[in-house]
Amino acid sequence: MTGSSSNNRTGRSRIDWGSVAIFFVLMALGWLNIYAAVFDDSAAGGFSMSSRYGSQLVWMGVCVLAAAVIMLIDEIYYHILAYPSYVLLLAVLLATLFLGTEVNGAKSWLRFGGFSLQPAEFAKFTTALALARYMSSYSFSMADWRSRLYAMLLLAAPMAVILLQNDAGSAIVFASFLIVFYREGFNSWVYVALGMVVFLFVFSFLWSPAALLAAVLVICTLLEGIMNGGWTDKVRYLAAVALAALAIYLTAALVTHGRADFYPCLLAAAGLSLVAAGIYAWRTKLKNVLVCIGMFVGAVAFTNVVDVAFAHLQIHQQKRILDLLGVESDLQYWGYNVNQSKIAIGSGGFFGKGYLQGTQTKYDFVPEQSTDFIFCTVGEEWGFVGSAVVLGLFCWLILRLIKMGERQQEAFGRVYCYGVASIFFFHVLVNVGMTIGIMPVIGIPLPLFSYGGSSLFAFTLLFFVAVKLDSRRRESDGH
Amino acid sequence: MPQQRGTHATMNRRAKIISLFVMAAFAVLLLRLFQIQVIDDSYKRAAQNNVLRREVQHPPRGEVYDRNGELLVRSIASYDLMAVPRDVRAFDTLALARIAGVTPEKLRSELDKAARYSRRRPSVIVKQMSLEAKLLFDEGDFAGFYTVYRTMRSYPRKMAGNLLGYISEADAAAIERDDYYQTGDYRGMSGIERTYEEVLRGEKGMKVSVVDVHGIEKGPYMDGAADLQAIPGTAIITSLDAELQALGEELMAGKVGSIIAIEPATGEILVMVSSPGYDPDELVGRDRGNKYMELLGNPRRPLFNRGVMSRYPPGSTFKLVNGLIALQEGVITPSRTYPCHGGYTVGRGMKCHSHSSPVNLRQAVQMSCNTYFCYAFRAILDNDRYDGPKQAFDTWDSYVESFGFGRSLDSDLSGELSGFVPTRATYDRIYRGSWNSLTVISLAIGQGELGCTPLQMANLAAILANRGYYYTPHIVKRIDGRDSIDARFYERHYTKVDGRHFEQVVNGMYDAVHRDGGTGRRAYVPGLDICGKTGTAQNPHGADHSTFLCFAPKDDPQIAVSVYVENGGFGGTIAAPIASLIVERYLTDTLSRPELAEYVKNTTISYPYYDRQQQ
Repeated sequence: MTGSSSNNRTGRSRIDWGSVAIFFVLMALGWLNIYAAVFDDSAAGGFSMSSRYGSQLVWMGVCVLAAAVIMLIDEIYYHILAYPSYVLLLAVLLATLFLGTEVNGAKSWLRFGGFSLQPAEFAKFTTALALARYMSSYSFSMADWRSRLYAMLLLAAPMAVILLQNDAGSAIVFASFLIVFYREGFNSWVYVALGMVVFLFVFSFLWSPAALLAAVLVICTLLEGIMNGGWTDKVRYLAAVALAALAIYLTAALVTHGRADFYPCLLAAAGLSLVAAGIYAWRTKLKNVLVCIGMFVGAVAFTNVVDVAFAHLQIHQQKRILDLLGVESDLQYWGYNVNQSKIAIGSGGFFGKGYLQGTQTKYDFVPEQSTDFIFCTVGEEWGFVGSAVVLGLFCWLILRLIKMGERQQEAFGRVYCYGVASIFFFHVLVNVGMTIGIMPVIGIPLPLFSYGGSSLFAFTLLFFVAVKLDSRRRESDGH
Repeated sequence: MPQQRGTHATMNRRAKIISLFVMAAFAVLLLRLFQIQVIDDSYKRAAQNNVLRREVQHPPRGEVYDRNGELLVRSIASYDLMAVPRDVRAFDTLALARIAGVTPEKLRSELDKAARYSRRRPSVIVKQMSLEAKLLFDEGDFAGFYTVYRTMRSYPRKMAGNLLGYISEADAAAIERDDYYQTGDYRGMSGIERTYEEVLRGEKGMKVSVVDVHGIEKGPYMDGAADLQAIPGTAIITSLDAELQALGEELMAGKVGSIIAIEPATGEILVMVSSPGYDPDELVGRDRGNKYMELLGNPRRPLFNRGVMSRYPPGSTFKLVNGLIALQEGVITPSRTYPCHGGYTVGRGMKCHSHSSPVNLRQAVQMSCNTYFCYAFRAILDNDRYDGPKQAFDTWDSYVESFGFGRSLDSDLSGELSGFVPTRATYDRIYRGSWNSLTVISLAIGQGELGCTPLQMANLAAILANRGYYYTPHIVKRIDGRDSIDARFYERHYTKVDGRHFEQVVNGMYDAVHRDGGTGRRAYVPGLDICGKTGTAQNPHGADHSTFLCFAPKDDPQIAVSVYVENGGFGGTIAAPIASLIVERYLTDTLSRPELAEYVKNTTISYPYYDRQQQ
């Protein structure tokens, strides 16, 4: 590619045809699966444009047209329109809050005659553009808290409105921009802390408090070790804490005649050790140790408020999480969808049952099978092989988008491409993860597969603007 | 490039971390997919459970015929209304209740009950609907409901309830024991229905069809290749003679007891009356439970098959056995006579009625002389060959056992009991070891501790007819489509008494019916050569039991009969006429003494012993 840099400056377009091909292959596979999901061999045969696969085909046509138009518009307009489109969409989202139609409890649809749109799908696109514009501006600096705050606010505004629409699934997608922030230099510790929060949240349901506390202690020690080394000291430290905890426990057991609980003993031992660690940190002037101590204290505190936080979730969200973690299982009701989905995918086996041969999807055992649970059709009819191919294509597309981002000379293109990659990634991970029972049920579509014009159109916009920006990149001539 | 964006190297590092993270996440998805699609089989099974509906196809139960091809037990189609609560949609409760013949409230409550039991598994909602109701149901639209074919029984001849038996729903224990049965299945509980359950029930089939999430059938699975056709139950041709059985039941009206007739040459049971009986049709249908309780509460115990379950004292009919044993043991000869002047006077003594004296064996049988058989019995026990009467008693026991007494004959009649024959141990217990031939003298005339089933007595009649052997009595003559019945029914069982000894005893039986002074004169039918022996058994329940066993004709026996009428008095009065009527009907197809038949039919005996128990 380096050899074409001279052409690049003259503005010759260099479309990444590979990515475009993957995109259209996925779209075509998606349509085949919608057809299969709707297909019912007892119904009158023949192709009907009024069916879901018919209307999806129309949308696909619209998307191809849109893609062409996007490629024709000069990339400068995406810079120019980034903020206005963001503001406009925020307004539409707000309007939806009042004028929208409620579907499945979420007021997130706008209806024009026989035609309806889900503005939240497009909010991802406009937010990606706006963030790209802001984070590529000269005034932006990751080191500056004000910049970070404004970037966060750009993200939070549409998210908040969508949450108000009671569409938590679409709102949570905006969390994927955390990947973009990371790429742009956001503090890594934030991500470690976030990982810790997820870990604590999950395992507070599965493990006893004492086990969780022990795990947190080990993790924090490990992190400190990664930063400062001195592994033998770490092992000694952990052994000392364990011994202290045991000693306290035995004493307590003697006093209470065997009715002592281990958790407070371990907590006391860990607390005592923190004092020692604090003195050590102050003497050696190792700030990292203090960070780890802070993390430990935060984790212990968080563990104790998880239940409170959990109680604030809606009942179906609570049940979905409990079901996912295997804490509670109600296959007739809360767990029904996921269980049926796993059955459909699991019954596909290695090679699948064959196209249009899936009994679980054909006979409607899987709910929402042409929208959120479309992956069941893939899993059941095309088996592990087909699922791997589809997931492989998605992974490839996402990695290409990351690569696109990396080769952008300008931050605008990079941030935007990363945004698109993150959104694709989040959607695929959560949607497929949900159908196979490793992610909680969050009602977001599988890109290019799930039935629905808004989603298809929004992903087309997202993707082709990235392709357009990439095709107009100015290749750096190396350093 | 602005400095705050960091160096290019850190950027690349973060890009790599992000790429690795993405790949790791996809790897996790793939691993999980591999686990549930390739490694774990349970999802495949769950998918089959989801989509396949296995409907058991119940075969019609085999029918039962008499020896002349007359239908005794017919199968009628009946349908149980089933429901899978999960699949039930809103429906017209009134319409369905009307079709099923129940109240809407009943329908609702059954459905609630089913839902409490299981929402996914089918439950019986209404039992035993008619074919008409089933057809009406099929026309309606009741998602989640379906009907299951069940065989109901109907008894065109309304006879032999105890013999044919009844079917009822298999209980939990039966379901546990035999995996053929599922809840709601019917199973033979008594009689032929029970003994030949495996022949009659047939084999269940299975219809596998594909259903959608609403339980709506989408067609056969694998185009029906997975289906299994139900194999109807096999018909059974019994050895029963329906006409004779009907006559027997009429003759026993108003009396408690039993008639059993056997074809001596085969052991086939021709008649088996247990009186009082019941109309087997009463134990069919939705009212079965009440009727059953009613029969159970009847003090005369109609559900008790006296033919194979009673333990009656055989009375004088047992003298035949003692006479034969004495001959075989050589302690008497046919010509040896004993005097009788009103009884046997040794020990406590034994009374006898007045007849000529002295008597030989033939005359003793003819006139049923108690004294003669007391001599004979003591001669058996006090035989010098043995080391005392106790050892001789063991021998006596083994003879008696060879006649089929004191043990189950291993017939194919359900509930057959073994009766009771005392052993040395029995008396050792009763008399604390101190007893002799005089102590047990009652056995000489079939009294005392002896207990026999009417089947054993009929079998004795067959042994006499055959002059020394019998075939195990059985009720099934032929099973449709099979060449033979169980091998044990073709086996001759010889008694321990040689055939040559039988002639004098048989002659005595002939004389009992044909000669003046014979006790069985009322069994006489000209030309039939009936040989019989009366019995009059003392018992603690009132008047003597009247019993009679006979066979005919003397030289080519076609039928052996035993009649036992509880509290019927002297054996010759009521049991002998009944037996002779059965024999005559069987051999000649007519009754030459209709007035006798009418007289017997109209004779009722009062049973204070039973009827007192009602209070």
